[in-house]
Amino acid sequence: MSVGSVVAGAVGAARLARVWAAVRRQPPPLLVGLAILLPFVVIAVFPGVFAPRDPFEIDALPLQGPSGTYLLGTDEVGRDLLSRSLYAARIDIFVSLSSALLAFAVGTVVGLFSGYVGRRVDVVVMRIVDVFLAFPTIVLALFLIAIFGRGQWVQILAIALVMTPSTARFARGEGLVLRSRGYVEASQVSGATRRHVLFRHILPNALPTLLVAASVLAASAVMISASLSYLGLGAQPPDPSWGNMLRSAFGVVYDAPLYGLGPGVCISLVAGAYVLIGEGLRRRWRTDRHRGSIGNSVGGL
Amino acid sequence: MTSGGDLIVHGAESAAPSRWRGRLLGAATQIAQLAAVLLAVSLLTFLLLAALPGSAADARIGPLPNFSPEERRELIETLSRQLGLDKPLLWQYVIWLRHAVTGDFGLNYQGVEVSSVVADRLVATVQLGVASLVISTLGALLVSLFSHRTRWRAVRGGIQGSVTLLLVMPPFWLGLLLVVVFAVQVRWLPSAGYVAFGDDPIENLKFLVLPAVTLALPQLALFFRYLDAGLRDTSSAAFITASRARGLSERAVDYRHVLPNAVLPTITVVGLVAGSMISGLVIVESVFSWPGLGLLLVESVKQKDYNTVAAIVLITAVTYVIVAFVVDVLYRIIDPRTRRSAG
Repeated sequence: MSVGSVVAGAVGAARLARVWAAVRRQPPPLLVGLAILLPFVVIAVFPGVFAPRDPFEIDALPLQGPSGTYLLGTDEVGRDLLSRSLYAARIDIFVSLSSALLAFAVGTVVGLFSGYVGRRVDVVVMRIVDVFLAFPTIVLALFLIAIFGRGQWVQILAIALVMTPSTARFARGEGLVLRSRGYVEASQVSGATRRHVLFRHILPNALPTLLVAASVLAASAVMISASLSYLGLGAQPPDPSWGNMLRSAFGVVYDAPLYGLGPGVCISLVAGAYVLIGEGLRRRWRTDRHRGSIGNSVGGL
Repeated sequence: MTSGGDLIVHGAESAAPSRWRGRLLGAATQIAQLAAVLLAVSLLTFLLLAALPGSAADARIGPLPNFSPEERRELIETLSRQLGLDKPLLWQYVIWLRHAVTGDFGLNYQGVEVSSVVADRLVATVQLGVASLVISTLGALLVSLFSHRTRWRAVRGGIQGSVTLLLVMPPFWLGLLLVVVFAVQVRWLPSAGYVAFGDDPIENLKFLVLPAVTLALPQLALFFRYLDAGLRDTSSAAFITASRARGLSERAVDYRHVLPNAVLPTITVVGLVAGSMISGLVIVESVFSWPGLGLLLVESVKQKDYNTVAAIVLITAVTYVIVAFVVDVLYRIIDPRTRRSAG
């Protein structure tokens, strides 16, 4: 071994150690949450790499219990349940993440703007938010699906629309707090445009608190999207989703009581991962000012 | 510490007339706001319905299989006139609202009055909702008190952990687990179905247990979090230290001083959960084939039975708004501190 490679190795090891030390400093909930979520995201992107079998192929007897070949057993027509649970991540993670992102983007911009500008704009925006909040979540989502038809994009938009008002209200509170900060007033006095203040001062400073709220938003999105597909209004068979697999599980509960284990555990793991990440971010950034104001809405299902 | 009560007593003679005027004015403003939100909720429901393709008269009478095409066309024409479909949208809304207020939501998919179908389902839904709320509030009180008073930190940690777990379990997954244990393994309870209480009370209650518990557990977890936070915050308050210093036993301190104050903020949460319970009911009723409003909503969405969907959406939203309003008013009565800061 040459001197050069030893030095390079030492530098590499030192860098690795530094990275490791930085990771170790993060709050445990954040690490655990990420350790659960990231594998799911990878599986959602490349389900074929991880699934032991073809999730659509009927290659075994129906309703077998867990065994060495079929780790979670088979479904009512003889498809591998483990592979179907993993492929379901594709739809569930995509729908929940995109609807949470959409709700977060729209809700944050509208809310911060409303809180920052204040006065009449604020009154009007908040009354509109109140009206949307009057509709119970699932009911509003079902109403939108009834009117605009089924389909993945309708589902994403419906979930996003259901979650936007509460996000907007939350962000508005942040805007209200931040607008009286010294640096914001200084920027206004020095002639900054409203847009500049909003995107360069208010948004970056509100972001930690809002991201904590967003992680809880994502947890709700997972649960709502699974609920819709459970009700038969989300992903349609033969495409697997955790919700529609659990629906099938009820149909055969006396013959295959362990059928729902895979999809059920997946939903709880992903939703739980988001909650943990939120808790970790909250500890990391010490944003406990708002503890619980949006975080407790997960259980509101 | 001065309480709100003291302030009112001291200010009574001099400020009484203006205080009453202020309070009346405040109440009037609030009721006006409530009415405005209710109107806006109904307008939004109407506008979403109006976004539907096809005529409202067509949707309102449904397919009516027993009618010939001519009879049907005549009926639609009459109904279009009645509904004012030749008039501007806003006027149509007024007519729709006038019908809705009297409980007339038109006919459903099979030509039956929506109002009578909804009324049929109401009993089952209310029974399930009330049962779950009783279980969750009592359960949350017991569990949080136990967790507060226990000496073992591990027990407290275990309770916290299970509560967090309950919050990330959607009702159909939790329901499946309960069914597997109590209906499939030990066979104590039926897995799904419904018998009216009037027909057979015992059977009715047997069918009620699993759906009620499934609906109650996530609520219990939510209430627990608020109660737990309340208990913790309150026990570090100065007046608690004072009552300990007076020599009260831990038990007396907890039950007489900590608990009543810790319960207060949770009341709002219980009220709001009660008002928005339909979201959980939709799923739990589907899981356990419980023939309530939630199951009706899902069925109607699938059958594109728009009149029924609109009726349920409007009813649940109005219920929520009114419940939230009542909770707000009640809270001000219970906790005078909010009255002072709000005034």
